[in-house]
Amino acid sequence: MTKNSFRSDRVAAACCVAGLLFVTTTSCSRPTAVSPSGLKRMPPGQEFAGFLSTYANLKPDPNLEDTKSYVCKDPAKNVHRYVAMIVDSPVVYASTSAPDSAIPERGVAALKEYFQDAITNAVDDAFPIIQSSGPLVLRLRSAIVGIDVGQPVPAGQTRGDMLERPLNIGKVGVEMELVDSETGEQIAAAVDRDNLGEGAVIGSASFTHEEKFRAATQAFDGWAARLRQFLDSAHELSEEDIEHVEQTNFPYASEDTPVR
Amino acid sequence: MRNRASLMVLVSALSSCAMAQEISTFSAYVDSDICARLMLGPITSDRVQCSQSTFKEGSQPVLVRLRNNTVLTVNKEKMIRPLVGQLAEVAGKLKINDGTVKLEAVKAITSESIPERDPGRKLLDVRMYQTDKSAQLHEKVRHELAMMPYISNFDFISFTQNGPNVILTGWTVRATNRDTAGRLVRDIDGVETVVNNIEILPLGSIDMQIRAAARLALQRYLSRYFWGNGSDIKIVVKRGQVILLGMVSTKADSDVAFIQCNGLPGVFKVFNLLRVQGSNKRGLVEAKKEG
Repeated sequence: MTKNSFRSDRVAAACCVAGLLFVTTTSCSRPTAVSPSGLKRMPPGQEFAGFLSTYANLKPDPNLEDTKSYVCKDPAKNVHRYVAMIVDSPVVYASTSAPDSAIPERGVAALKEYFQDAITNAVDDAFPIIQSSGPLVLRLRSAIVGIDVGQPVPAGQTRGDMLERPLNIGKVGVEMELVDSETGEQIAAAVDRDNLGEGAVIGSASFTHEEKFRAATQAFDGWAARLRQFLDSAHELSEEDIEHVEQTNFPYASEDTPVR
Repeated sequence: MRNRASLMVLVSALSSCAMAQEISTFSAYVDSDICARLMLGPITSDRVQCSQSTFKEGSQPVLVRLRNNTVLTVNKEKMIRPLVGQLAEVAGKLKINDGTVKLEAVKAITSESIPERDPGRKLLDVRMYQTDKSAQLHEKVRHELAMMPYISNFDFISFTQNGPNVILTGWTVRATNRDTAGRLVRDIDGVETVVNNIEILPLGSIDMQIRAAARLALQRYLSRYFWGNGSDIKIVVKRGQVILLGMVSTKADSDVAFIQCNGLPGVFKVFNLLRVQGSNKRGLVEAKKEG
């Protein structure tokens, strides 16, 4: 995905989602009583969520707009050393003055599920997904950062699996890192702040199945695609690699294979 | 009611027909996994010897379809075990994309039983593999494969080019390498057919531990063969078996690699197929002769 296409998707997404914003006129009538499990908080205006094991290595990424990234270049422990990946369930950080009870748990769960599927689909042919940690296995940790809630839907106006309060994802960004699954050492990291803009909301727990929320799914697919782009760029052959393979006859043609 | 019964009969007949259509009959050479992926080309006496010896040492039996050199793993290995090193007529459900066949029947045949103009004779005729190859096309194929970014120390990809036809082979830990290699080569001007025999390796935890331990041991003792993100020694691990491939400078280095890998926990067999630089093309068959 190019920067431009992602940006135009984003603009379209913002317009589309904004148009579908649930109209709310009354005060909170049916707040969710249960605090969303695993939901974390970050103070409004803060640059980072505190999710990554370290932010010290991050630098603006020349290939990805609004993104800071880090890729370990040490041949002894860079991404080339790994062949499989564990994809952790994303963590959601809320940036809102609303209480936890106002954040609809079903919406958060739908976000997490969709994003995990999107990033799994984006990476699984390059890094086969496995379930247990071990040697040569990376762990992909990700966080959806900065969700907020809109005004509550008036009593009697909710239908289907509509959320009691829409989730505002206009300022959402993504933080993710690849760590060694055994040692936890950071191998690569990215903070992606390319967001949908004001007015982007999710109002249903099954947003993946509703056309009107296609914009939100496009945004999450976009972040997943950028993750893959980031991985591909981290996996590019170095000059030393290219020089070496050009000097040898690798990959060996059949007359060079040992069993002949 | 009668309509419903007729419909069921029709559905049943259609499904039987579809089932029957899925069964293919073809002639194949019963090979070992190692020789099938490394000895591309005609069935010679050397290849038969390789098949039988590596099979005895634990390499999995597979089928090589004679008409196009496709390597096929089977669901019932015991049906083909007695036939390793021989030709066979095979009936079964083929899944070319997966490189598998669900066996229905297998019987040994002789080469004479394959008709003269049958495409199945291709691998039996050495002349088929003596056509001039285009050096330029060969280099293009090599270059495209060499530049693939997701090749690791644990992937070995090889190819043979016979005119405009390319056979890809080897082992990889990533599905994307198999697909990418096939696509890249298919897109090269001048390539007409591609048979993709690259096998995707299992990622079980024991195999993963063996891979990591083998790389660590070889890097410790043979560090000069490791550079940047790559290596001259390839470590293929498949269900506890280690296949060492690539190039080293001396026989002593080859022996060190073998000893290091052979002593690792979880390894039950090491096939040392490292080629020693400067020596004649050293094959598994020759190695066996030396004892």
